[in-house]
Amino acid sequence: MVWITSMGLAVGLTMIVFLLGMIVYNGLEVFWPKPVVRLELKEGSTAGVNNAPAFGGEIVKTQAKAVQALAADGSPLPSQREYQLFVGNKDVYGFGYKFIDNAKIVSESRPPGVVVAERLEYGNAIFIPKQFTLADGSTVAADDSGFQSTFERLVKAGNERRAEIRRIERDQIGDLNRKFDSIRLARRAIEARGGEPTPADREKLAEFDATTTALQAEYEMLAAKARELRALQDANHIVYTTLDGAERTLPTGDLIGFYHPNTLSLPQKAGLFTHRFWSFLSREPREANTEGGIFPAIFGTFVMTLLMSMAVTPFGVLAAIYLREYAKQGVFVRSVRIAVNNLAGVPSIVFGVFGLGFLVYFMGGTIDRLFYSLSLPTPTFGTGGVLWASLTLALMTVPVVIVATEEALSAVSRGTREGSLACGASKWQTIQSIVLPASLPGILTGLILAMARGAGEVAPLMLVGVVKLAPTLPLDTIYPFVHFERKFMHLGFHIYDLGFQSPDSEAAKPMVFATTFLLILLVVCLNLGAILIRNYLRKKYRSSTF
Amino acid sequence: MTNFEEEIRALKDEILAMASHAETAVSRALRAVVERDIDLARTVREDDTVLDQLEIKIDDTAIHLLAMAPVAFDLRLITVAMKISQNLERVGDEACNMAKRITDLAGEPEVAADTAIPQMAKLAINMLHESISAFVGRDPALARRIIPSDKEVDAINRELHRALSSFIAEDPGKITRCLALMAISKSLERVADHATNIAEEVVYLYEGQDIRHVKNLKG
Amino acid sequence: MPAANTMPDLRAIRPPEQSTPSSGPADAAPTSFDPAYIKIRDFNFFYGTNKVLHDLTLDIAERHVTAFIGPSGCGKSTLLRNLNRMNDLVDGIRHLGDILVNGHSIYDPLLEVIALRKRIGMVFQKSNPFPKSVYENVVYSLRVAGRSRKSELDEVVERSLRGAALWDEVKDRLSDSAFSLSGGQMQRLCIARAIANRPEILLMDEPCSALDPLATAKIEELIHDLKREFTIVIVTHNMQQAARVSDHTAFFYLGKLIEYADTKLIFTNPSNPQTEAYVSGRFG
Repeated sequence: MVWITSMGLAVGLTMIVFLLGMIVYNGLEVFWPKPVVRLELKEGSTAGVNNAPAFGGEIVKTQAKAVQALAADGSPLPSQREYQLFVGNKDVYGFGYKFIDNAKIVSESRPPGVVVAERLEYGNAIFIPKQFTLADGSTVAADDSGFQSTFERLVKAGNERRAEIRRIERDQIGDLNRKFDSIRLARRAIEARGGEPTPADREKLAEFDATTTALQAEYEMLAAKARELRALQDANHIVYTTLDGAERTLPTGDLIGFYHPNTLSLPQKAGLFTHRFWSFLSREPREANTEGGIFPAIFGTFVMTLLMSMAVTPFGVLAAIYLREYAKQGVFVRSVRIAVNNLAGVPSIVFGVFGLGFLVYFMGGTIDRLFYSLSLPTPTFGTGGVLWASLTLALMTVPVVIVATEEALSAVSRGTREGSLACGASKWQTIQSIVLPASLPGILTGLILAMARGAGEVAPLMLVGVVKLAPTLPLDTIYPFVHFERKFMHLGFHIYDLGFQSPDSEAAKPMVFATTFLLILLVVCLNLGAILIRNYLRKKYRSSTF
Repeated sequence: MTNFEEEIRALKDEILAMASHAETAVSRALRAVVERDIDLARTVREDDTVLDQLEIKIDDTAIHLLAMAPVAFDLRLITVAMKISQNLERVGDEACNMAKRITDLAGEPEVAADTAIPQMAKLAINMLHESISAFVGRDPALARRIIPSDKEVDAINRELHRALSSFIAEDPGKITRCLALMAISKSLERVADHATNIAEEVVYLYEGQDIRHVKNLKG
Repeated sequence: MPAANTMPDLRAIRPPEQSTPSSGPADAAPTSFDPAYIKIRDFNFFYGTNKVLHDLTLDIAERHVTAFIGPSGCGKSTLLRNLNRMNDLVDGIRHLGDILVNGHSIYDPLLEVIALRKRIGMVFQKSNPFPKSVYENVVYSLRVAGRSRKSELDEVVERSLRGAALWDEVKDRLSDSAFSLSGGQMQRLCIARAIANRPEILLMDEPCSALDPLATAKIEELIHDLKREFTIVIVTHNMQQAARVSDHTAFFYLGKLIEYADTKLIFTNPSNPQTEAYVSGRFG
């Protein structure tokens, strides 16, 4: 009998390990720098790009050919192979990936001078640099000794300037826009009151006008500065040839980073891998989420899960305390318990619809009418946001917390409770000082389960506040610091969006795996944190052994 | 029957055996004195060791039972048994003492007061017998009835003592014999005392009342 | 003269105590011990329709140890738990008659049960320290009563632990978890906790039944000391313990009070044959 049970366990474990392993491998493999090959094609072959005799790219996949050729006698030839190459340079070719039949390749080489460059638009470029054309008209040729250092200097300068531009535009100009906005709302408030403006009003309006003019002047100055910097970004250019021979020019301000794929040593590759993985985690997305990082999605998932936990814990715990400790155990309590358990089985999209109808439209609409009427018809809370999403998911996961808390409460022995009551404590004092602290490990278990379920649900979120691309984070340094009405990005939704709605599915594939990997990592980290806290609490409140 | 109850039964049997031995010892000692039977006197003295051994055995059984922490009746029974055995052993000693006097009495002419001795002995032996019967028969009333007889025995002893004293004053040649008779009389008086003690213990056992040293009961 | 007595005189006579009346055969009528601190009067107790205590009337003397003995299911624990109204936690209970502590009925509707329980300490059969430190266990009653001044709490901790004969053993580990103590120590901790708030009455429900003889002996010794300050009622299955520890003993059977007298009398000469049979170990 033992081997049947152990086999069951082994099968389950194998499936999990295989699934995780596949995700981890595919997810991380994206970041490992791969060599770039240059393929010389057979004479007159049209298999390459733009009918060029050669081209190149990173080998992404090697597989058996889809369509097998037949020998003269009709029997299938031995399996042929084909490569899938990432050729980059989408601005030149119009696509990023290409299949090439190995039979059509004459020779393969790895030119050492090849550069892979990350840039602002059209994804990575793969090329052999020719020269730099600087603002003052001078050139630095590729074979020049100072070429490498110039390359690095220019790219670094470009990155710094870009950060500066962003600071001006997003932060400072954004600040001005907010001030404009608040003046606008104040003006509307006065107008909304209707009737003749009082002298006090007139004074205020005059003040607004003065402030507006000042702000406008400041805006002009900042915009001019931004324009200046942008011009500088376009000052220098790099000239290069792609592996199929086409020559292109690119302003150095568009370059984010570069490396030489064929000359990297192992430590350098590891360093690059770490760097790319880190920028994936910390940067913002570009190019319809197919390029760049996914930091906003990570942050949004984290914030939403946190808010959901903060919402679900008090509701769940208090409900469980009432059901278990205070309510008279009878038909009513039993039916409430059944209802709560059934709630756990309701499909999550139903919660999404409920969240939309009740939370977003009804409650959000009411809040808008009461507090944000000046902004209408633009909804503030009357549309999806991180608050409503968290509350919807909290509602979905509350049964789990209630059940786990009830179990934990009933596990506190009767003797302990009686001891407390015999000391002259009231029921609530007993619950507060003895029962609840001892139940904390169990409650945390419930919370862990709730977080795991909530962090993974995507369907309801689509209705109540998740977007493909959010311009701002729900938590930032601007008062009131937590912005409950903002829409946010979510890792789960990101995966769905990349996988099914991106224009270039091949480009998105590595991102899908990487994002999946990150989502699993995030949930594992959240759970680990809660498990560690629970273990600590268990040791603290462990029961007697006799 | 539990182990405890079996041991209690054994204790009671040992008390009965000891009582019967003690009674026999006193009767024999008296007969030896009256009939001047030296051999019988020697038998009495030799048989006293049986009583000594029985006292040790009963104490041992009692201690063993006490270790089982008995309460109430069982506790009283065991402590009373130990006291009874002590008293019975002393009865045996008194019988020995009586038997020893026979050498002083042998060959000497009879004294008129000799008749008082058998009368005392009869009373004392009867008291002993009745007190043990009260123990066996769970009859504290019987035990209470015995107690006044002690006064009677005391009276006879005092009377005999006075008579013997005047005999000695009249005829100093009879002094050995008279002193021996006084000793025998004393012994019988003590046997009656021990029987009274046993009766008091029996009353305590069955009524739970401690009637020792209460003057009015003895009349 | 008789030979020297080699056996100790087992019937040691104690001069009769002034507070106890005749030691003659007592009937089931209440023996009144003055001053009676707890008066139970015609007390009947029901679990739903099931009557478990019948017409109980007895007085419990102040600053004495009273033992409740009887076979399983006789109601002794039920009666004990009624003294601090712990039975209120069970649904469907009902009572007739009254229980008075120091002249006041404990069922007075104006009396808060919590206030009653603060004046009565309870020690349970299975020791139930809280999952907190030793210090926090002892001061729990004070904290729930709202007293939290550290100097006061420190003083109470030392006094209570000394009173429970536990201070020397735990004074260096007051902040350790209560579960790091041995079984006997845990029960003494529960006793310390029960006496911390200086209650008038201490109720003990078979406090030593889960302990080894050494720990039991320590606690019995403790009870001897405690009775100078507290009125103690102890429920026990152990005849010898009742005989060793208590001043008065009440024997219950099937929810009725069969006999109630001086402990000495109950164990040397009980008047009721049922009592005799029970204490001699012949039933129950």
